[in-house]
Amino acid sequence: MSEALYVGVDVGSSATKCVILDSAGSLVGHDVVSSGFKYIDAIERVVSGALDQAGGSREDMAACVSTGYGRKHVPFSSRVVTEITAHARGTRAWDPEVRIIIDIGGQDTKIIRIDGSGQLVDYRMNAKCAAGTGTFLESIAVKLGMVLSDLDALARKSSTPTVVNSYCTVFAGTEVIERIKEGQNPEDIAMGLFRSIATRIKEMIPSRDGSVGATGGVVEHCPAMVVALEESLKCEVRLAPMPQHAGAYGAALLALESCRETGSEVDHASAG
Amino acid sequence: MTRTAKRVKINAQGTLRSLMRDYFLNLDAAASDPDRLVAWCTSVGPCEILTAFGYEVYFPENHGALLGARKISHECIPAAVGVGYCAESCSYMTSDIGAALSGVSPLTEAYGISGPPRPDLLAYSTNQCREVQDWWHFFGRRHDAKVLGICPPTHVGEVTDAHVAFVRHELQELINHIEGHLGRKMDYARLEQAVSLSSRASSLWRCVLDTARTRPSPMTFFDGLIHMAPVILMRGSQDAIDYYNLLLDEMNGRVSGGIGAIPDERFRIYWDGMPVWPKVREMSEKFFDLGVAVSASTYCNSWAFEDYAGGDPLEWMARTSTEIFINRSETFKQQFLIEMCEAFQIDGIIFHNARTCPNNTNSRFGMAQRLRDETGMPVLVFDGDLSDVRFFSTAQTMTNMEAFVEQLEGRLR
Ligand code: SF4
Repeated sequence: MSEALYVGVDVGSSATKCVILDSAGSLVGHDVVSSGFKYIDAIERVVSGALDQAGGSREDMAACVSTGYGRKHVPFSSRVVTEITAHARGTRAWDPEVRIIIDIGGQDTKIIRIDGSGQLVDYRMNAKCAAGTGTFLESIAVKLGMVLSDLDALARKSSTPTVVNSYCTVFAGTEVIERIKEGQNPEDIAMGLFRSIATRIKEMIPSRDGSVGATGGVVEHCPAMVVALEESLKCEVRLAPMPQHAGAYGAALLALESCRETGSEVDHASAG
Repeated sequence: MTRTAKRVKINAQGTLRSLMRDYFLNLDAAASDPDRLVAWCTSVGPCEILTAFGYEVYFPENHGALLGARKISHECIPAAVGVGYCAESCSYMTSDIGAALSGVSPLTEAYGISGPPRPDLLAYSTNQCREVQDWWHFFGRRHDAKVLGICPPTHVGEVTDAHVAFVRHELQELINHIEGHLGRKMDYARLEQAVSLSSRASSLWRCVLDTARTRPSPMTFFDGLIHMAPVILMRGSQDAIDYYNLLLDEMNGRVSGGIGAIPDERFRIYWDGMPVWPKVREMSEKFFDLGVAVSASTYCNSWAFEDYAGGDPLEWMARTSTEIFINRSETFKQQFLIEMCEAFQIDGIIFHNARTCPNNTNSRFGMAQRLRDETGMPVLVFDGDLSDVRFFSTAQTMTNMEAFVEQLEGRLR
């Protein structure tokens, strides 16, 4: 066996991410693939991709912690944690000053509050609907015949964002059509959509007693989202180094810690 | 984590099953017998008056819960929406109305009867919510039956003599109306007997629930949801008393033997709000797997009334129907929850924000935050519904529950 590797796998509703750390905690591999219909295929592909980058093989996996919507589907996982715990752990490592984490995923948005020791204080998830999630933006982009990155590029040119009031994806779509008919600038409408998510997120933050950080695919791929959040929250929003991989990174750190705690190099049957 | 430990079965359940069967078959027989009377009543309504008049009493909310538990509510609700009942109003009501319009009832499969018994009279109390009034009126029109109700003061802080006197007056008026309807007088000795039996069943139920104050909890909220049926449906009967004596013996046996409903109980949780009926089994299994006992709840305690020590039965009824938790002020509720958490050695509180029942949801006016601040305990609010699964996301809720337990674990480190 070459060097022991510590694997974090985040199986999200849209994308599956993997982060691999070495025993010093340095990131040596990562990958992201679309989750698709079969989680197991996505998991196999993402772990293989990250292992290739790390120059390792399945036999080198000392521990694996899985998280995310499909966390129970990782056959070689030695521990399963929710995204909330994974993000809390990851954030403590990438910016110990962050007390509020905004994680905007495809399926849901989470607000996670941690204390100075990285202990989870409180968390909230959006109500059961697409409002305030990546799906909201994606479905409206599709309606406008674009992809998400086009919507983001458009929004970044906005000078006077339109107000999009509706929380509901369908009604917001109708509202967008109405604004287009009224002759409003497409870039202002696009920014209005990011703003509407930011407003929704603001409602989920009861109080602010420290720095705010953001994670997830939406903030990684849409700088406009970060701008909208900063305007809405009236504070700096710190981005995780690899926002979409933040959950997998936290999971990988937990994998590393689990081995340190037990003193074992290999605490599972590797390569499932 | 899936634990290999086995659940300990509650033996009294067999007795409960036959009690329930007898109850529904008796109702069905009464409905088709011209010499017998059936009344429908709200679950914390004036059922003792109806019993004293000789009515067999049926509780539509139980039917609403059954529709949810059997996972058929969402198929029934569209029929009610079609005749003008908002999809976001009480899903007990919309599923029950929809079931009637669609000719569906879980009672058919369970007991071989056609459905709820036809009423001669429908009586309600709006002490729980105003929805019941409109729900009852729908069925009053449908069955051409009389609808009568009382409207006690709501959101009450301290219950005063003036409140009690007002509600007592309403109950007396209700009696007068029923006397006029039936053409005969109330037998007050019978009323006193019904109240006395009700009160005994209710206080035994409270004793059963209170056994969960011990660690490990001999029973959980999910057990309570099954075993609370007699205190609602058979209040005022000796059967309910006998049943709770039996169940209490079993629970006391568990307490002295140190037997918990959750083997190796790790954490104890308080549940506020309605159950998610279509998901009760999944949730119960989830908490079992997590080693968490949901030791106490507002919901199961809703039928734990004050004892009746003799005297004016109407005054007891007036007081109990005004004192119930759902009818009280935010300040009262908050204090009640704090005391419950202390008494049951609770580690964290879960609030169910039920989309279609604002009345039985207590997280809409900052209560969760206040309790978190005041008790220092983790508090979780999750979105769902009592019956309509369209307002519920299994994946999201299960993540919420698991993360909550991870939070509790983190506090131990
Ligand atoms: S209290 Fe809630 S669930 Fe019960 S009848 Fe009223 S609205 Fe429906």
